[in-house]
Amino acid sequence: MNNFFVPSNIRPSCRAGLMLLASAALAGTLAIAGCSKSNNATSSAASGKKMYTICLLPKEKDIPYFTSCAAGARAAAKQLGDVKLIYDGPVHGAATKAAAMIHKWTLQGVNVIAVSPNDPDVLAPAMKRALKKGVHVITWDADGLPGTRQYFVNQASARRIGYTLMDTLAKDIGPHPKGPIAIITATLTAANQNAWIHFIKIRLKKYPGLKLVSIQPSHDDQRRAFQITQHLLQAYPNLKGIIAVSSAAFPGAAEAIKQAGQSGKVQITGLSTPDDMRAYVLNGTVKSVILWNTHALGALTIRVAEALASGKLKPGQKTFNAGPLGIKKIVGHQVLLGPLMVFNKKNIGKYHF
Amino acid sequence: MSIAATPVHPSDHPRRRFTGALAVLAQRREYGLLVLVAAIVLFTGLANPAFFSPGNVQDTLVSFVPEAIVSCGMLLVIATGEIDISVGGLMSLLAAMLGLLASPTHANMPVWLVIMLTLLAGIAVGFLNGILVAVAGIPSIIVTLGMYTALPAVTNMLMHGQYVTDVPPALRFWGSGTFLTIPISLWTTAVVALCAMFLAWRTALGRRIFAVGSNPHAARLAGVSIVWTKIFVFTLSGFLVGIATLVTATQLSVIEPGTGQSLALAVVTCVVVGGASISGGRGTIPGALLGVCLLGLVRGVLIFLKLGQHAIYWEHAIQGALILAAVLVDHLASRRLGGEGHA
Repeated sequence: MNNFFVPSNIRPSCRAGLMLLASAALAGTLAIAGCSKSNNATSSAASGKKMYTICLLPKEKDIPYFTSCAAGARAAAKQLGDVKLIYDGPVHGAATKAAAMIHKWTLQGVNVIAVSPNDPDVLAPAMKRALKKGVHVITWDADGLPGTRQYFVNQASARRIGYTLMDTLAKDIGPHPKGPIAIITATLTAANQNAWIHFIKIRLKKYPGLKLVSIQPSHDDQRRAFQITQHLLQAYPNLKGIIAVSSAAFPGAAEAIKQAGQSGKVQITGLSTPDDMRAYVLNGTVKSVILWNTHALGALTIRVAEALASGKLKPGQKTFNAGPLGIKKIVGHQVLLGPLMVFNKKNIGKYHF
Repeated sequence: MSIAATPVHPSDHPRRRFTGALAVLAQRREYGLLVLVAAIVLFTGLANPAFFSPGNVQDTLVSFVPEAIVSCGMLLVIATGEIDISVGGLMSLLAAMLGLLASPTHANMPVWLVIMLTLLAGIAVGFLNGILVAVAGIPSIIVTLGMYTALPAVTNMLMHGQYVTDVPPALRFWGSGTFLTIPISLWTTAVVALCAMFLAWRTALGRRIFAVGSNPHAARLAGVSIVWTKIFVFTLSGFLVGIATLVTATQLSVIEPGTGQSLALAVVTCVVVGGASISGGRGTIPGALLGVCLLGLVRGVLIFLKLGQHAIYWEHAIQGALILAAVLVDHLASRRLGGEGHA
């Protein structure tokens, strides 16, 4: 120990060498971290066939929900054959980074930018500028401000999601549900989640026995959702159910119920992918997981984008032929994906996303 | 314990009594914190007796674990006058390593090997931080900010936007298992805290760490290697992040890339609220741990007081007020100690 700490006057040459080594190491890490595919928008492929460059921008690139949407988008691009798909987005959902990407793609002159805006206000200027420059802009998963997009590929209306969540929880609690329930959300300012919670509250009136006692934000942090659920279970010993309206909060909340030995006594439902919740559905902690078909959402977005770029999708159309996905309704400027899916013990084995 | 502790000069001047009391509070921060923590616990427990239930006491203590373990390392880094804000990014990378290496559908490596590799990776990143700061002379806030940015990006590349959902039970034991009915994570925290206190108070190395932060020139003259002392504290910080990851990421069945995203800010806050001086040389492990308890309690207390759905806004307001109060006490106390003319 004493030898370890003798004063060491490092020679200048050695110091310079170490500095070089160290900066090289840091630069290496940053290079690995920062390597993103540099895409050049090209309108025609080598074969001479007309190609459309479509950029798919998720709210957050690193979560399974968007990863599975992207898988559906890739499959659709491959089937269509005339789509060059670029899937990229901010890592922790920074809206300013998403805006910078839209700017970059606009300058590159891509054909379509499909945006899932995590902050419509921040993204609006970039989206409007893209439209002005002749790039087609559509939204998917979440809508933008009026005048910032041509179409919105809508997975389900907020009303349908809110009502389905409330009805499912009430059904899972049992006949004549009675007692306190809580909601765990993403953040108290998340637009999608707030719209769903609004409709959950409206639907709650159908179940006079149930009382909403707490709405807690998880900041899309699983551990945070876990701790909040533990506190909720202790603070409200007769809690009957929890609705997790964030896909990151759902597994954390379910784990807290399981570890507290309350599986089956406290019901929990929410939005998540079947892969992430499979274990909890199979062990009985979660009866129902609700989600739209994320693969189909990604695929429909790409098909709408391609049809828009090639002129196949014309203003005023009431339906849209989405190939293998079937005929989809167009209401106003919204292309509707279709019904929600409810995954339970019986059917979850069939779904892998 | 602190070498920098300047004695409080007795003063009869009435104007100085208030700042004199603040100076005592700044130096004996632990007692003030202890009283505050006890008052909050008592108040919440009286308002809602469920707060005192054994289950809640255990859950609450377990919720302090990551900040508590990492704050021991952070305190020693801050004691040398440096800072390590890479801890959150490192935790996300190490959690991803644990999950990906141990998961049967990924690398499927034996659990003991996975733990060794993860701890070694933590040590390696800490060592690299130390080299960049102490040898290359880059300010620690820049070095660790770089790591804070780069490491989660590496995590995201490794995880490809997927969660790891099949963590083997032998690994999950570290986060959800118990020994003598007490969670492993609490035992681990106790061992880490005791070792850190022993290091700080009873070893020559501990004295050198504080000497480097309070007066680097004098420390150098006294024969302390500033370079090795700093490399040591950064390496220790990386190792403790590894330990914290092992006992907390495994508490949940799903390992996600967002693990530890707000850890650095939380831990630095706890350490500073616990009485450590951000410019180095002063601070104690018990103070830092009480800081962890105080800031961690706020979250649960707001649920138990049943303040309604918008209580979360209060959490940040209360935490912010505590930080400002801590800094204010330090500032006024240093004015008092610095005498007239020093601001």
